Amino acid sequence: MRALRIAAAVEAGSLAVLLGNLVTVHTPAITSLGGPLHGTAYLVVIALTWLGSAAPGTRWRAAIPGIGGLLVLRRIGPDREEA
Amino acid sequence: MTKLLLSVHVLAAILTVGPIAVAASIFPRYARQAAFDEDPGGGAAGVARLLHRICRGYAVAGVAVPVFGVATGAQLGVLTDAWLIVSLALTVLAAGVLVLAILPGQQRLLTSAAAPVAGSPAMTKGSTGLVADERRALSARLAARTGIFNLLWAIVVVLMIVRPGSTTGA
Repeated sequence: MRALRIAAAVEAGSLAVLLGNLVTVHTPAITSLGGPLHGTAYLVVIALTWLGSAAPGTRWRAAIPGIGGLLVLRRIGPDREEA
Repeated sequence: MTKLLLSVHVLAAILTVGPIAVAASIFPRYARQAAFDEDPGGGAAGVARLLHRICRGYAVAGVAVPVFGVATGAQLGVLTDAWLIVSLALTVLAAGVLVLAILPGQQRLLTSAAAPVAGSPAMTKGSTGLVADERRALSARLAARTGIFNLLWAIVVVLMIVRPGSTTGA
């Protein structure tokens, strides 16, 4: 659960940084480092969701780029979101 | 930047595939001990569960290895080299063995090892023998699959070092 929260935050955060970099300074270093970081977080979110949840709706939400992890967190743990 | 990506790739490979290879290799021994009542204190069952957890957890973290590997390859412009494509195919194969054969096999062995401890009343003398045979076969299969997994990674590592047909570096 904690791993999923971290991965979801990295997934959304790294995509925000990548897109921000794309429309502003366009530093190549940020692109080449942020790309794999985002890709790893994206795949980790999918893997953790598939390992932890059997509900098809939850599983497919994980595959949504960028915000999939956050959508999964919202769906499986509304009580944790409030805490 | 290429050097940083390559460092992350190699570091991730050592730190994620290494533990999986070790944990998966010694898992069958402890699972067998737990399954055949050679485990008076229940320690072997606990070790087997921990080894399974290590395999599962590091398998998830292991996705960083191909991701950063492909990023490094893209930076170097070697994505279409034969050695890299073969390595990627073997990596996919190894990941498939891990996720589709090793992890479910470990799970099955763990649940079957837990069954007699719970004390199933339906278990007769005859059915116990059958279950024992199944367990022995399952753990032998698991050991073989783990060997295949380790062998695939050994081949990929050698390909990464030798890089047959490559003109970039030693």
